[in-house]
Amino acid sequence: MGKMAEYAFVAGTLSTFLALVGYVFYALSGVRAARLAAAGVPVTTGRVGFVVGPRTTSIGHYATLLGWLGFALLGASLVFRAIATGHGPFSNMYEFSIAFAFGILGAYYWFEQRYHQRVLGLLALPVALALLAYAATVPAEIEPLVPALQNNLLLTVHVATAIVAYGSFTVAFAAALLYLAQPETGRWGLPKPEVLDEIGYRAIVVGFPFLTLVIILGALWADVAWGRYWGWDPKETASLVTWFIYGAYLHARVMRGWRGRKAAILLIIGFAATLLTYFGNLFFGGLHSYSGLG
Amino acid sequence: MTQNTRTQKLAAGAVPAPGEADGVAGVDSALEQLWHVLTSMKLALVLMLAFAALTLVGTLVIQAPAGVMEDPQAKSQWLAGIRPRYGGWTDILDRLQVFTIFTSFWLRAIGALLAASLVACTVHRIPGTWRTVARPRIDVGPAFFEHAPQHEAMTFHRPSDDVLETTRRVFRRHGYRTLSLDDGTIHLYFDRNRWAPWSGLVAHAAIVVILAGAMVGSLWGFRDGNFMLAEGSTSAIPKVAGATITLNSFKDTYSPTNGQPLDYVSNVTVAQNGAPIATQDVRVNEPLRYQGVSFYQSFFGPAAVVTVKDAKGAIVYAGGVPLAWEATGGNKVGTFALPTQGLTAWVVATTGTDDPAIKPGQVAIELYRADTGDPVVQKSIDQGVATTIEGLTYTFEREAKFTGLSVANDPGTPIVWLGCILLVVGFAVRMYVPHRRIWGRLAARPDGGSSLAIAAVGRRDSGFDAEFTTLVTDIRQAVTAAARS
Repeated sequence: MGKMAEYAFVAGTLSTFLALVGYVFYALSGVRAARLAAAGVPVTTGRVGFVVGPRTTSIGHYATLLGWLGFALLGASLVFRAIATGHGPFSNMYEFSIAFAFGILGAYYWFEQRYHQRVLGLLALPVALALLAYAATVPAEIEPLVPALQNNLLLTVHVATAIVAYGSFTVAFAAALLYLAQPETGRWGLPKPEVLDEIGYRAIVVGFPFLTLVIILGALWADVAWGRYWGWDPKETASLVTWFIYGAYLHARVMRGWRGRKAAILLIIGFAATLLTYFGNLFFGGLHSYSGLG
Repeated sequence: MTQNTRTQKLAAGAVPAPGEADGVAGVDSALEQLWHVLTSMKLALVLMLAFAALTLVGTLVIQAPAGVMEDPQAKSQWLAGIRPRYGGWTDILDRLQVFTIFTSFWLRAIGALLAASLVACTVHRIPGTWRTVARPRIDVGPAFFEHAPQHEAMTFHRPSDDVLETTRRVFRRHGYRTLSLDDGTIHLYFDRNRWAPWSGLVAHAAIVVILAGAMVGSLWGFRDGNFMLAEGSTSAIPKVAGATITLNSFKDTYSPTNGQPLDYVSNVTVAQNGAPIATQDVRVNEPLRYQGVSFYQSFFGPAAVVTVKDAKGAIVYAGGVPLAWEATGGNKVGTFALPTQGLTAWVVATTGTDDPAIKPGQVAIELYRADTGDPVVQKSIDQGVATTIEGLTYTFEREAKFTGLSVANDPGTPIVWLGCILLVVGFAVRMYVPHRRIWGRLAARPDGGSSLAIAAVGRRDSGFDAEFTTLVTDIRQAVTAAARS
């Protein structure tokens, strides 16, 4: 089972990479369409993005299929890994990085299904690939769980919830980057600013309650294992920082003058905090120091 | 012009109104102003970001362990340890309470302001929410039906009473209630999930509940992170009269491949007034709970079982001494008191063979005056050999282990969990159960038919468009069907 997990991981990474290549060509064809349109050649646009000819749509379509395949393979890898280890596949940086990438792909395709903005994939998939590349560099051996992690139910639920939250935040980050990359009026070939604003908001609406749940489950676990629900452990604190930033974002968005660019900047800061929370245990020590890299 | 206006104002206000003169109004307006500031979303936003920034500092800058900053000697030692890292900034950062940010003035001040803003905003929103839910505006004016994000105008050949009845039925089927107001034109208001707006308030109030729980914990809870017990030893349970806890055995196991710890287990027995109540294994993730007091597995180490007798052979002290501290050179050190003699005894065990004073299999006994801390005598003793020091016989019986438990009693925890549940439920409802509101306007037409317009300000994203379209289709079909029957 451990071997199967590894094969699925490699295949899933490859598939995701090919999907990204597809998205790059898809976006390039959008640029070409923009140039053609500027030159006065009639170009039709569709719901699915820019449609210059049959080729463009089909590249985007295949990229999506490959991405879905990558998502499925990574999911399979996590399942095999869970069977091999006997607990949720979230106990060290190797397992958790694959799970994070899996969460990003899941969140991204959830939004691609609804909003049909493939250009977002151009930003979301590299984040997933970076995590997969990172996973390939850390030890993948199956080790027994250290005593603090020996709580299968909480380990699985606490971290699975984190995956959903982090995946959504990545999509919001991609949307915010695209939002800031264009003028208020929008730029041809990129998703409309209103749509990006909408996607960012929806992603936080999904992710924020999950982050809340992650923190609460973490507090519950801390109470069971360490005897206190809150102790300003660096990882606890970093997750609270993230929670406050996205909380501020949700309030900012209903305020005049904070909509749009400022809100998008908050999403970028929030994602930086998410990464700090995720990688934090590697450098700031504390009770979450069981990355398997010690 | 400006001058003119000002003069006029002055003239008009030359005689102050009776109420304004006595200062009461001044206090009122100051309070009002404070209220206005506290309920402002902008303040809440700035406070949230400030809180995030401060706590972020706490994760990036090394934090002093609890208790260090209260002890001047420990503090200067600790500061010396981090000085190479922070250089000249060390004292400035210390002065600014950056090394104890989570108990600093800054965090407390911002936390208090945030709590005040939270309470103010929540209270402030209650009347508005109540109006939205209980006394919604039914007549919204004709322009709304042309400019709202979702709007549809329909004409029917049926009289308005019929259409009203049918429309009501369709909306009821979709879970909406109907309110109406008839002033010649029938104004209609339909809504669904009308209790949902309260959920946002519940979520905000939940944070207040959590803070209250934390406050209760810090006021009435207690916590001892260094409750040590050697194998075979018994100790009183704090805060529970007549209760004791005994460590029967401690076991630590490691992975044979990489030496990673696999399990720490303390087998303990709890007794009440001498009668054993329960025996349980305490592990990380498996605490022992008794009468509201919880014991958590925290750390462990070696212990020395020592017996001390007086000249008549009566036992002065017997038990395991946890060797929980490390002396310079790596020796393990523990302590126990001999109150009748006015002495404090330290037990030193060697971990290597380097110490010329203590050989493996020996421990050193160091005696100090309990009141002054002056050293009295120091002597190494062999295992199993009774050795007389200062009139008492000391025997190092055997090596053992001790367990370090963290003992806690936090009456605020249930309140915190209640707050957490409210928070999650509040969020879930706030974000996934939208309050749907649709307005309608029904008028009779000269030809005996009627016209119905419905409109709403739903968000484009939340699937409301589709629901609105379905409602329109259903109304048309239902009216047509009613006409046929």
